Amino acid sequence: MPEEEKDKALIVFDYIFHAMRAKPVLEEAGLKSREVAPPAEYRTGCDLAVEIDATDVDAAENVLIEKGVMMLDILFMPKGSEFVPVYLTNLMKTVDYGDFVMVRCGNMKITYQKGSGRIVNISGGGCPDIPYLGMKLYGTVIGQGPKPRTLGKTICAYTLEHAYEKALEIFKKENKKRK
Amino acid sequence: MLLLVGTVPIENLPLTYGPVHYQPDKLTIGDYTLEGQYVTLGTAAMISAASATCQAIGADEPYALVMGDTGMGDGTMKILKFLTDELANLAPRVVTLHYILPTRELFMNFVNTARKMENGPFLIADAGALLNAKAVKLASKFDLFTPDPGELSFLADPDAAHPAYVQHFIFNVDQTEVPRLSKDAYDHGDAPRYMVVKAPIDHVIEEGKAVATINEPNVPTMEPIGGTGDTITGEVSALISSGMDVVDACITACKINRTAGELARPAPDTTIAQFIPHIGEAVKKVLGK
Repeated sequence: MPEEEKDKALIVFDYIFHAMRAKPVLEEAGLKSREVAPPAEYRTGCDLAVEIDATDVDAAENVLIEKGVMMLDILFMPKGSEFVPVYLTNLMKTVDYGDFVMVRCGNMKITYQKGSGRIVNISGGGCPDIPYLGMKLYGTVIGQGPKPRTLGKTICAYTLEHAYEKALEIFKKENKKRK
Repeated sequence: MLLLVGTVPIENLPLTYGPVHYQPDKLTIGDYTLEGQYVTLGTAAMISAASATCQAIGADEPYALVMGDTGMGDGTMKILKFLTDELANLAPRVVTLHYILPTRELFMNFVNTARKMENGPFLIADAGALLNAKAVKLASKFDLFTPDPGELSFLADPDAAHPAYVQHFIFNVDQTEVPRLSKDAYDHGDAPRYMVVKAPIDHVIEEGKAVATINEPNVPTMEPIGGTGDTITGEVSALISSGMDVVDACITACKINRTAGELARPAPDTTIAQFIPHIGEAVKKVLGK
C-alpha cells in the first residue's frame, strides 16, 4: 500500500550559507528532509530551502537553533504542494583531457591532474565565494584539502561540492586500477 | 565611461571606486592595487580583460567599483547601495555587473533606478548578476547577458531558481539547442535584447534569434580554465563602450577571446593569469591594428 502523503513544512533561509548546513544537521538528528527550491517570492537567484514533515517542525526548529543554523521562516504547506528538487545528480558530465580530468556538475567545473590528484582549475559559477574557493582549492590534492562545502556559502559552492565528490570518486577508482 | 562592478574575494578590501589600469601581475583600481593571484580572480579577471582591450584599441580606461566579499553578501550590499545612490552623478555609458551575491531589494532598486534615468546606461550582466536578474524577473531590463550553456539552460527554464534546479540541462551545445533555449528565454521575458552564449561554438543572440556563430579559432582546452568566460564579458564591455555596434562587439569579443586562447596555447592546467596577457595582442590581430 502506498505511504499516505504527509503534511509538509518548508524551512526558508536568509542566507544560503545556513541553508546548506541545515540538511546535514537534520539528518544527524534523525529527521527526514529534502533540499528544494523555495517559492518564487523568496527567490534571489541563489536559493535553497529544506522540506520536512510538518510533524517534525518543533524538533527541526530546536535542533537548528541549537546548532546555530539561522532560519528566516518555517512555512506550513498545503497537502499536495510540489517543490522543485535539486537535480544535481542528473547534471554530471566528465571530460578526459589525457593527463587531466574535468568533471562538470551543472554550471560548475573542476579539473584535476591524473595521478597526482592536484586540482588545476575551477570554472563556472557567479557568486562571490567561487573565486575565493578557487583560490583555496587550486593546487590542493583532491580528497586531502579543503572541500567546497566547508568553505562555500552559496548554491554554486554546493554544486561545486557535487562535482568535487564525483571527481574524487573517479580519482580513487583510477588509483585502485593503478595498484 | 565604462563602469565595471563586482566583488573580489579579499575580506578586507574596502569599497573602492576609480579608474582601472591592468598590467600583467598588477591591477590598479583607484588607490587600490591588486597583485599576484588577486589580479585574475572573478570580477578582477573581467576588469583586467576590459582594461587590456581598452589599452589595445586606444580607448579611455574603464572605471571599476569593487569591494571584498567571500560569499556572505556584505560587499555586495555596499556596492549595490553605492551604485544606486551615485549612478546619476557617475553617469556611466555602460555598466557591467559581475560577481555579486544575489539579493532582492538592493538589486531591484539599482535596476529600476538605472531604467528610470534619462539616457541611462547600457546594462550588461554576467555571473551572479545574471542569476539575480532572472530570479527577480528583471532580465528584460538589461541590454546584454553573457551566459554559458549552463546559465542559458537556467534562463530558458521558467521554474528554475538556479542552474542547480534546471530540469533539462544542455551539455552538448549545438546550433539547434542554443537558438531554441535563447528563444524560450526571450519569449518568457527572462533574457535581454542581446546575449553572447559562451561555448565551444559561441552564439550571438538578438531578440531571441541567433544572428551569428563563432567557432574559430577552436581551442578546446580553454573550457576547463576558470575565467575564460569572464574575459569575454570584459572584452565585449570595452568594445560596446568604445561605440562599436552591439552585435559587432559581441562577435569581435568572441574572436578576441578565442585568438587569445590560440596565442596562449593552453593546457587544462593553464591559469587565467597566463591567458589575460595575450588579450592585447589578440585585439590587435582581430581588429587588424
